[in-house]
Amino acid sequence: MTTAPQVLDVTTLPSNDNVNSYTFCVDLDGQWFLQKGKMIAYYGQIDFNGVGHGHLDRLVATSFHSPLHAGEWVVAEGNGKMLLADRAFDVNSYDLEDGNLTVRSGNLLAFEPSLSLKQSIIPGFVTLIGTGKFVAASNGEVHFVEPPVRVDPQALVGWADCPSPCHHYDHGYLKGVLGGIRAMTGIGGASGEEHQFEFVGAGTVLIQSTEVLMAEQATGAVPHEAGVPGGGQHGGGQGGQSPQMPGQLGNLQRRFGL
Amino acid sequence: MAQFRLHSAKVLAVTMNGDAVKAKNGSMVAYDGQMAFKKLSGGGEGLRGMVTRRLTGEQMTLMEVKGQGTCYFADRAADINLVQLDGETLHVEASNLLATDSGLRTGTSFTGLRGASQGNGLFTTTVEGTGQAALMSDGTAVVLRVAQGMPLQVDPGAYIAHQGNLRQDFQTGVNFRTLMGEGSGESFQIRFEGDGLVYVQPSERNTLGGEV
Repeated sequence: MTTAPQVLDVTTLPSNDNVNSYTFCVDLDGQWFLQKGKMIAYYGQIDFNGVGHGHLDRLVATSFHSPLHAGEWVVAEGNGKMLLADRAFDVNSYDLEDGNLTVRSGNLLAFEPSLSLKQSIIPGFVTLIGTGKFVAASNGEVHFVEPPVRVDPQALVGWADCPSPCHHYDHGYLKGVLGGIRAMTGIGGASGEEHQFEFVGAGTVLIQSTEVLMAEQATGAVPHEAGVPGGGQHGGGQGGQSPQMPGQLGNLQRRFGL
Repeated sequence: MAQFRLHSAKVLAVTMNGDAVKAKNGSMVAYDGQMAFKKLSGGGEGLRGMVTRRLTGEQMTLMEVKGQGTCYFADRAADINLVQLDGETLHVEASNLLATDSGLRTGTSFTGLRGASQGNGLFTTTVEGTGQAALMSDGTAVVLRVAQGMPLQVDPGAYIAHQGNLRQDFQTGVNFRTLMGEGSGESFQIRFEGDGLVYVQPSERNTLGGEV
Protein backbone atom coordinates (compact mmCIF):
# COMPACT_ATOMS: atom_id res chain seq x y z
CA MET A 1 0.00 0.00 0.00
CA THR A 2 1.34 3.41 -0.90
CA THR A 3 0.09 6.69 0.38
CA ALA A 4 0.86 9.06 -2.41
CA PRO A 5 1.61 12.54 -1.13
CA GLN A 6 -0.83 15.20 -2.18
CA VAL A 7 0.48 17.23 -5.07
CA LEU A 8 -0.39 20.91 -4.92
CA ASP A 9 -0.15 23.66 -7.46
CA VAL A 10 -1.04 27.31 -7.61
CA THR A 11 -4.77 26.60 -7.94
CA THR A 12 -5.05 23.85 -5.35
CA LEU A 13 -2.94 25.49 -2.66
CA PRO A 14 -5.11 26.84 0.13
CA SER A 15 -5.73 30.54 0.21
CA ASN A 16 -4.44 32.20 3.40
CA ASP A 17 -4.56 28.91 5.24
CA ASN A 18 -2.29 26.15 6.48
CA VAL A 19 -1.00 23.62 3.95
CA ASN A 20 0.01 21.35 6.84
CA SER A 21 0.89 22.08 10.45
CA TYR A 22 4.28 23.45 9.47
CA THR A 23 3.52 25.40 6.31
CA PHE A 24 1.26 28.35 5.68
CA CYS A 25 0.18 29.63 2.28
CA VAL A 26 -0.36 33.35 1.75
CA ASP A 27 -2.53 34.35 -1.20
CA LEU A 28 -0.65 37.52 -1.97
CA ASP A 29 -2.24 40.37 -3.81
CA GLY A 30 -0.46 43.48 -2.68
CA GLN A 31 1.94 43.59 0.22
CA TRP A 32 2.79 41.53 3.27
CA PHE A 33 5.51 41.94 5.84
CA LEU A 34 7.56 38.85 6.51
CA GLN A 35 10.59 37.98 8.54
CA LYS A 36 13.72 37.23 6.53
CA GLY A 37 14.24 33.69 5.41
CA LYS A 38 10.76 32.37 6.22
CA MET A 39 9.63 32.11 2.61
CA ILE A 40 10.25 28.61 1.29
CA ALA A 41 8.61 28.77 -2.15
CA TYR A 42 6.26 30.86 -4.24
CA TYR A 43 4.28 30.89 -7.45
CA GLY A 44 3.71 34.12 -9.33
CA GLN A 45 5.46 37.43 -9.48
CA ILE A 46 6.71 38.50 -6.07
CA ASP A 47 9.45 40.94 -5.13
CA PHE A 48 11.19 40.99 -1.78
CA ASN A 49 12.62 44.21 -0.49
CA GLY A 50 14.10 45.28 2.82
CA VAL A 51 11.85 47.66 4.74
CA GLY A 52 14.37 50.40 4.14
CA HIS A 53 13.57 50.34 0.42
CA GLY A 54 12.63 53.80 -0.85
CA HIS A 55 9.24 53.24 -2.38
CA LEU A 56 8.01 51.40 0.71
CA ASP A 57 8.31 54.52 2.84
CA ARG A 58 4.61 55.12 3.02
CA LEU A 59 3.76 51.55 3.95
CA VAL A 60 6.49 51.44 6.56
CA ALA A 61 5.27 54.73 8.01
CA THR A 62 1.82 53.28 8.66
CA SER A 63 2.60 49.68 9.57
CA PHE A 64 6.12 49.30 10.87
CA HIS A 65 7.27 51.12 13.96
CA SER A 66 10.22 49.19 15.18
CA PRO A 67 13.61 50.37 13.97
CA LEU A 68 15.15 47.54 15.99
CA HIS A 69 13.56 44.92 13.83
CA ALA A 70 14.02 46.73 10.53
CA GLY A 71 16.99 44.54 9.69
CA GLU A 72 15.01 41.31 10.05
CA TRP A 73 11.93 42.20 8.08
CA VAL A 74 11.17 42.43 4.41
CA VAL A 75 8.13 43.34 2.37
CA ALA A 76 6.79 40.85 -0.17
CA GLU A 77 5.09 42.65 -2.99
CA GLY A 78 3.19 41.30 -5.96
CA ASN A 79 0.75 38.61 -6.95
CA GLY A 80 0.91 34.93 -6.26
CA LYS A 81 0.95 32.26 -3.62
CA MET A 82 3.74 32.22 -1.11
CA LEU A 83 4.61 29.41 1.30
CA LEU A 84 5.96 30.30 4.72
CA ALA A 85 7.64 27.99 7.21
CA ASP A 86 10.09 28.20 10.05
CA ARG A 87 12.49 25.42 11.08
CA ALA A 88 9.68 22.85 10.98
CA PHE A 89 7.89 24.50 13.88
CA ASP A 90 4.10 24.56 14.02
CA VAL A 91 2.70 27.64 12.33
CA ASN A 92 -0.71 29.14 12.85
CA SER A 93 -2.51 32.17 11.54
CA TYR A 94 -4.48 34.49 13.74
CA ASP A 95 -7.05 37.14 12.92
CA LEU A 96 -7.10 40.31 14.91
CA GLU A 97 -10.15 42.50 14.84
CA ASP A 98 -9.42 45.92 16.14
CA GLY A 99 -7.31 44.23 18.76
CA ASN A 100 -3.79 43.95 20.02
CA LEU A 101 -1.52 41.01 20.48
CA THR A 102 1.99 40.80 21.84
CA VAL A 103 4.25 38.00 20.68
CA ARG A 104 7.88 36.97 21.06
CA SER A 105 9.60 38.69 18.16
CA GLY A 106 11.31 35.55 16.90
CA ASN A 107 7.98 33.71 16.67
CA LEU A 108 6.29 36.14 14.33
CA LEU A 109 6.63 35.06 10.70
CA ALA A 110 4.51 37.48 8.73
CA PHE A 111 1.67 39.97 8.98
CA GLU A 112 -0.70 41.91 6.79
CA PRO A 113 0.06 45.62 6.45
CA SER A 114 -3.39 46.49 7.80
CA LEU A 115 -1.84 45.61 11.15
CA SER A 116 0.80 47.75 12.64
CA LEU A 117 3.92 46.38 14.33
CA LYS A 118 5.30 48.07 17.41
CA GLN A 119 7.97 47.13 19.84
CA SER A 120 6.53 46.01 23.15
CA ILE A 121 7.94 47.64 26.24
CA ILE A 122 8.84 44.11 27.30
CA PRO A 123 12.21 43.54 25.61
CA GLY A 124 12.15 40.82 23.00
CA PHE A 125 8.44 41.10 22.29
CA VAL A 126 6.53 42.95 19.60
CA THR A 127 2.93 44.13 19.61
CA LEU A 128 0.56 44.01 16.66
CA ILE A 129 -2.30 46.48 16.68
CA GLY A 130 -5.26 46.78 14.36
CA THR A 131 -7.29 44.50 12.14
CA GLY A 132 -5.81 41.80 9.97
CA LYS A 133 -4.09 38.46 9.72
CA PHE A 134 -0.70 37.38 10.96
CA VAL A 135 1.25 34.14 11.08
CA ALA A 136 3.25 32.98 14.10
CA ALA A 137 5.28 29.88 14.88
CA SER A 138 5.43 27.88 18.06
CA ASN A 139 7.43 24.90 19.19
CA GLY A 140 4.61 22.39 19.34
CA GLU A 141 0.95 23.29 19.33
CA VAL A 142 -0.29 26.56 20.75
CA HIS A 143 -2.71 26.53 23.67
CA PHE A 144 -4.93 29.39 24.69
CA VAL A 145 -5.54 30.10 28.35
CA GLU A 146 -7.36 32.87 30.12
CA PRO A 147 -6.03 34.95 32.99
CA PRO A 148 -5.57 34.86 35.90
CA VAL A 149 -2.74 32.50 35.06
CA ARG A 150 0.94 32.06 35.80
CA VAL A 151 3.07 30.89 32.89
CA ASP A 152 6.53 29.45 32.67
CA PRO A 153 8.76 32.05 30.99
CA GLN A 154 10.02 29.59 28.37
CA ALA A 155 6.56 28.41 27.40
CA LEU A 156 5.15 31.87 26.78
CA VAL A 157 4.48 32.71 23.15
CA GLY A 158 2.41 35.83 23.57
CA TRP A 159 -0.76 37.40 24.90
CA ALA A 160 -3.72 39.32 23.55
CA ASP A 161 -5.85 42.07 25.02
CA CYS A 162 -4.74 41.61 28.62
CA PRO A 163 -2.36 43.92 30.46
CA SER A 164 1.34 43.12 30.23
CA PRO A 165 2.53 40.47 32.69
CA CYS A 166 4.58 40.86 35.81
CA HIS A 167 7.16 38.55 37.36
CA HIS A 168 6.09 36.23 40.12
CA TYR A 169 8.51 34.51 42.48
CA ASP A 170 7.51 31.76 44.85
CA HIS A 171 7.52 33.04 48.37
CA GLY A 172 9.42 30.13 49.90
CA TYR A 173 12.46 30.91 47.88
CA LEU A 174 12.56 34.51 48.98
CA LYS A 175 12.24 33.88 52.69
CA GLY A 176 15.31 34.13 54.88
CA VAL A 177 18.95 33.77 54.05
CA LEU A 178 18.75 30.07 53.25
CA GLY A 179 15.89 30.66 50.88
CA GLY A 180 17.89 33.34 49.16
CA ILE A 181 20.89 31.09 48.73
CA ARG A 182 18.66 28.35 47.46
CA ALA A 183 17.06 30.62 44.91
CA MET A 184 20.38 32.01 43.74
CA THR A 185 22.41 28.84 43.59
CA GLY A 186 19.92 26.01 43.41
CA ILE A 187 21.69 24.41 46.43
CA GLY A 188 19.20 22.62 48.59
CA GLY A 189 16.86 21.91 45.74
CA ALA A 190 15.30 24.21 43.25
CA SER A 191 12.51 22.93 41.08
CA GLY A 192 13.27 25.36 38.30
CA GLU A 193 9.71 26.58 38.59
CA GLU A 194 10.16 29.32 41.19
CA HIS A 195 9.74 32.08 38.69
CA GLN A 196 6.71 32.67 36.50
CA PHE A 197 5.03 35.37 34.49
CA GLU A 198 1.73 36.36 36.02
CA PHE A 199 -1.17 37.54 33.90
CA VAL A 200 -4.25 39.24 35.28
CA GLY A 201 -7.20 40.98 33.69
CA ALA A 202 -9.26 40.00 30.68
CA GLY A 203 -7.66 38.52 27.59
CA THR A 204 -5.94 35.45 26.22
CA VAL A 205 -2.48 34.04 26.85
CA LEU A 206 -0.75 31.88 24.24
CA ILE A 207 1.57 29.13 25.41
CA GLN A 208 3.51 26.55 23.47
CA SER A 209 3.69 22.90 24.42
CA THR A 210 7.39 22.81 25.19
CA GLU A 211 9.84 24.82 27.21
CA VAL A 212 12.39 24.72 24.45
CA LEU A 213 12.60 28.16 22.97
CA MET A 214 13.37 28.71 19.36
CA ALA A 215 16.72 30.33 18.88
CA GLU A 216 16.21 33.98 19.54
CA GLN A 217 17.22 36.29 16.82
CA ALA A 218 19.17 39.37 17.66
CA THR A 219 16.64 42.11 17.88
CA GLY A 220 18.90 44.99 18.75
CA ALA A 221 18.45 46.97 21.91
CA VAL A 222 16.01 49.55 23.17
CA PRO A 223 17.05 53.18 23.23
CA HIS A 224 19.17 54.51 26.11
CA GLU A 225 16.56 56.50 27.84
CA ALA A 226 15.30 57.00 31.33
CA GLY A 227 12.15 55.02 31.97
CA VAL A 228 12.66 52.50 29.18
CA PRO A 229 12.83 48.93 30.53
CA GLY A 230 16.12 47.37 29.56
CA GLY A 231 17.33 50.77 28.44
CA GLY A 232 20.44 50.48 30.60
CA GLN A 233 20.52 53.97 32.08
CA HIS A 234 23.45 53.22 34.30
CA GLY A 235 26.33 53.79 31.99
CA GLY A 236 25.39 51.50 29.15
CA GLY A 237 25.69 47.76 29.60
CA GLN A 238 23.65 46.89 26.53
CA GLY A 239 23.91 43.15 26.80
CA GLY A 240 24.54 41.32 23.60
CA GLN A 241 25.50 44.25 21.45
CA SER A 242 28.90 44.22 19.94
CA PRO A 243 31.05 47.22 20.83
CA GLN A 244 30.94 50.06 18.38
CA MET A 245 33.97 50.23 16.19
CA PRO A 246 35.27 53.58 15.10
CA GLY A 247 34.13 54.26 11.59
CA GLN A 248 30.93 52.25 11.90
CA LEU A 249 27.71 53.99 11.22
CA GLY A 250 26.21 52.77 14.49
CA ASN A 251 23.07 51.43 12.84
CA LEU A 252 22.47 54.91 11.55
CA GLN A 253 22.14 53.58 8.04
CA ARG A 254 18.81 52.02 8.97
CA ARG A 255 17.28 55.37 9.71
CA PHE A 256 18.25 56.56 6.27
CA GLY A 257 16.71 53.55 4.69
CA LEU A 258 19.89 51.98 3.46
CA MET B 1 9.64 -5.99 -5.93
CA ALA B 2 10.02 -4.60 -2.42
CA GLN B 3 6.90 -2.89 -1.10
CA PHE B 4 7.41 0.51 0.51
CA ARG B 5 4.83 1.94 2.88
CA LEU B 6 4.80 4.50 5.64
CA HIS B 7 4.41 2.81 8.99
CA SER B 8 3.99 6.31 10.44
CA ALA B 9 5.05 9.72 9.18
CA LYS B 10 8.57 9.06 10.41
CA VAL B 11 9.03 5.33 9.98
CA LEU B 12 9.32 3.58 6.64
CA ALA B 13 8.33 -0.08 6.43
CA VAL B 14 9.59 -2.14 3.52
CA THR B 15 8.22 -5.59 2.88
CA MET B 16 10.64 -7.81 1.01
CA ASN B 17 10.30 -11.20 -0.49
CA GLY B 18 13.82 -12.25 -1.26
CA ASP B 19 14.55 -9.00 -3.02
CA ALA B 20 16.67 -6.06 -1.92
CA VAL B 21 16.60 -2.33 -1.21
CA LYS B 22 19.34 0.25 -0.81
CA ALA B 23 19.09 2.37 2.32
CA LYS B 24 21.13 4.93 4.18
CA ASN B 25 23.74 3.24 6.32
CA GLY B 26 22.52 2.65 9.86
CA SER B 27 18.93 3.70 9.25
CA MET B 28 17.39 0.33 10.12
CA VAL B 29 15.45 0.53 13.38
CA ALA B 30 13.76 -2.87 13.46
CA TYR B 31 12.95 -5.86 11.31
CA ASP B 32 11.08 -9.09 11.39
CA GLY B 33 11.94 -12.11 9.30
CA GLN B 34 15.36 -12.83 7.88
CA MET B 35 17.46 -9.87 6.79
CA ALA B 36 21.03 -9.46 5.67
CA PHE B 37 22.73 -6.07 5.72
CA LYS B 38 25.68 -5.33 3.54
CA LYS B 39 27.51 -2.06 3.28
CA LEU B 40 27.72 -0.78 -0.25
CA SER B 41 30.96 1.01 -0.81
CA GLY B 42 30.48 4.09 -2.93
CA GLY B 43 26.72 3.80 -2.91
CA GLY B 44 26.78 0.65 -5.00
CA GLU B 45 27.81 2.52 -8.07
CA GLY B 46 31.04 0.73 -8.63
CA LEU B 47 34.51 2.13 -8.59
CA ARG B 48 33.68 4.93 -10.97
CA GLY B 49 30.70 6.04 -8.90
CA MET B 50 32.79 5.86 -5.78
CA VAL B 51 35.43 8.14 -7.20
CA THR B 52 32.81 10.51 -8.61
CA ARG B 53 31.09 10.78 -5.27
CA ARG B 54 34.34 11.43 -3.47
CA LEU B 55 35.27 14.09 -5.99
CA THR B 56 31.87 15.78 -6.03
CA GLY B 57 31.29 15.74 -2.29
CA GLU B 58 27.87 14.11 -2.80
CA GLN B 59 28.86 11.33 -0.44
CA MET B 60 26.36 8.89 0.87
CA THR B 61 26.96 5.68 2.65
CA LEU B 62 24.42 3.10 1.63
CA MET B 63 23.75 -0.43 2.66
CA GLU B 64 21.96 -3.17 0.84
CA VAL B 65 19.22 -4.91 2.76
CA LYS B 66 18.09 -8.23 1.44
CA GLY B 67 15.76 -10.84 2.85
CA GLN B 68 12.30 -12.05 3.71
CA GLY B 69 10.03 -10.00 5.95
CA THR B 70 9.53 -6.41 6.91
CA CYS B 71 12.31 -3.98 7.64
CA TYR B 72 11.72 -0.61 9.33
CA PHE B 73 13.83 2.46 8.58
CA ALA B 74 14.00 5.88 10.27
CA ASP B 75 16.58 8.61 10.63
CA ARG B 76 16.67 11.32 13.30
CA ALA B 77 12.88 11.59 13.40
CA ALA B 78 12.81 13.11 9.93
CA ASP B 79 9.54 12.97 8.04
CA ILE B 80 9.47 10.47 5.20
CA ASN B 81 7.94 10.88 1.75
CA LEU B 82 7.45 8.10 -0.77
CA VAL B 83 8.08 8.72 -4.45
CA GLN B 84 6.99 6.35 -7.20
CA LEU B 85 9.21 6.49 -10.26
CA ASP B 86 8.15 5.16 -13.64
CA GLY B 87 11.22 5.58 -15.74
CA GLU B 88 11.72 9.22 -14.74
CA THR B 89 14.67 10.76 -12.99
CA LEU B 90 14.46 12.07 -9.46
CA HIS B 91 17.01 14.65 -8.38
CA VAL B 92 17.56 14.67 -4.64
CA GLU B 93 20.11 15.93 -2.15
CA ALA B 94 22.16 12.98 -0.93
CA SER B 95 21.42 13.92 2.68
CA ASN B 96 17.66 13.66 2.02
CA LEU B 97 17.67 10.19 0.50
CA LEU B 98 16.64 7.41 2.89
CA ALA B 99 16.02 4.34 0.74
CA THR B 100 15.48 3.23 -2.83
CA ASP B 101 14.36 0.07 -4.51
CA SER B 102 17.42 -1.86 -5.61
CA GLY B 103 16.10 -1.70 -9.15
CA LEU B 104 16.68 2.05 -9.22
CA ARG B 105 19.97 3.41 -10.43
CA THR B 106 21.64 6.17 -8.46
CA GLY B 107 24.23 8.57 -9.76
CA THR B 108 25.48 12.11 -9.49
CA SER B 109 24.79 15.10 -11.67
CA PHE B 110 26.00 18.65 -11.89
CA THR B 111 23.58 21.28 -10.64
CA GLY B 112 25.55 24.42 -11.18
CA LEU B 113 25.34 27.42 -8.96
CA ARG B 114 22.28 26.31 -7.06
CA GLY B 115 24.20 23.76 -5.06
CA ALA B 116 26.87 26.20 -4.10
CA SER B 117 24.34 28.54 -2.56
CA GLN B 118 22.78 25.91 -0.36
CA GLY B 119 26.07 24.70 0.96
CA ASN B 120 25.47 21.31 -0.56
CA GLY B 121 28.13 21.40 -3.16
CA LEU B 122 27.79 21.70 -6.88
CA PHE B 123 26.35 18.25 -7.40
CA THR B 124 23.19 16.39 -6.64
CA THR B 125 22.15 12.76 -6.56
CA THR B 126 19.97 11.32 -9.27
CA VAL B 127 17.72 8.30 -8.92
CA GLU B 128 16.31 6.76 -12.08
CA GLY B 129 14.40 3.72 -13.18
CA THR B 130 11.15 2.16 -12.08
CA GLY B 131 10.35 1.61 -8.43
CA GLN B 132 9.94 3.43 -5.18
CA ALA B 133 12.21 5.77 -3.27
CA ALA B 134 11.86 7.33 0.18
CA LEU B 135 12.93 10.92 0.85
CA MET B 136 13.48 12.60 4.19
CA SER B 137 12.43 16.10 5.10
CA ASP B 138 12.57 18.25 8.22
CA GLY B 139 8.84 18.52 8.84
CA THR B 140 6.11 17.39 6.46
CA ALA B 141 7.24 18.06 2.91
CA VAL B 142 5.05 19.94 0.47
CA VAL B 143 4.87 18.64 -3.08
CA LEU B 144 4.36 21.39 -5.64
CA ARG B 145 3.51 20.93 -9.30
CA VAL B 146 5.20 22.98 -11.95
CA ALA B 147 3.46 23.23 -15.32
CA GLN B 148 3.78 25.32 -18.44
CA GLY B 149 3.14 28.95 -17.60
CA MET B 150 3.24 28.16 -13.88
CA PRO B 151 6.85 28.49 -12.81
CA LEU B 152 7.84 28.02 -9.17
CA GLN B 153 10.49 29.77 -7.14
CA VAL B 154 12.01 27.87 -4.24
CA ASP B 155 14.33 28.92 -1.48
CA PRO B 156 17.53 26.87 -1.89
CA GLY B 157 17.54 25.95 1.81
CA ALA B 158 14.05 24.45 1.65
CA TYR B 159 14.56 22.50 -1.57
CA ILE B 160 14.91 18.75 -1.18
CA ALA B 161 14.11 17.10 -4.51
CA HIS B 162 12.47 17.38 -7.88
CA GLN B 163 11.33 15.05 -10.64
CA GLY B 164 10.07 15.40 -14.18
CA ASN B 165 11.11 17.51 -17.06
CA LEU B 166 12.18 20.67 -15.28
CA ARG B 167 14.58 23.39 -16.17
CA GLN B 168 16.15 25.17 -13.24
CA ASP B 169 17.54 28.65 -13.14
CA PHE B 170 19.29 30.35 -10.38
CA GLN B 171 17.96 33.79 -9.76
CA THR B 172 19.49 36.42 -7.58
CA GLY B 173 18.31 39.72 -6.31
CA VAL B 174 21.60 40.80 -4.89
CA ASN B 175 22.05 44.53 -5.07
CA PHE B 176 23.71 47.36 -3.32
CA ARG B 177 21.36 47.05 -0.34
CA THR B 178 22.45 43.46 0.26
CA LEU B 179 25.99 44.67 0.71
CA MET B 180 24.85 47.29 3.20
CA GLY B 181 23.29 44.59 5.37
CA GLU B 182 19.78 45.55 4.35
CA GLY B 183 19.23 42.59 2.06
CA SER B 184 15.87 40.94 1.76
CA GLY B 185 17.12 37.58 3.00
CA GLU B 186 15.39 36.09 -0.03
CA SER B 187 17.97 37.12 -2.57
CA PHE B 188 18.65 33.65 -3.93
CA GLN B 189 15.96 31.50 -5.42
CA ILE B 190 15.81 28.53 -7.71
CA ARG B 191 13.30 29.02 -10.47
CA PHE B 192 11.74 25.84 -11.91
CA GLU B 193 10.06 25.85 -15.30
CA GLY B 194 8.62 23.01 -17.36
CA ASP B 195 6.59 20.03 -16.18
CA GLY B 196 7.23 18.19 -12.98
CA LEU B 197 7.11 18.07 -9.21
CA VAL B 198 9.21 19.87 -6.63
CA TYR B 199 9.53 18.77 -2.99
CA VAL B 200 10.15 21.44 -0.38
CA GLN B 201 10.51 21.12 3.39
CA PRO B 202 9.12 23.59 5.95
CA SER B 203 12.56 24.43 7.25
CA GLU B 204 15.69 25.96 5.85
CA ARG B 205 19.13 24.51 6.05
CA ASN B 206 21.76 26.99 7.04
CA THR B 207 22.89 28.30 3.75
CA LEU B 208 25.29 30.81 2.48
CA GLY B 209 22.43 32.29 0.48
CA GLY B 210 20.19 32.59 3.52
CA GLU B 211 22.42 35.21 5.04
CA VAL B 212 22.10 37.68 2.21
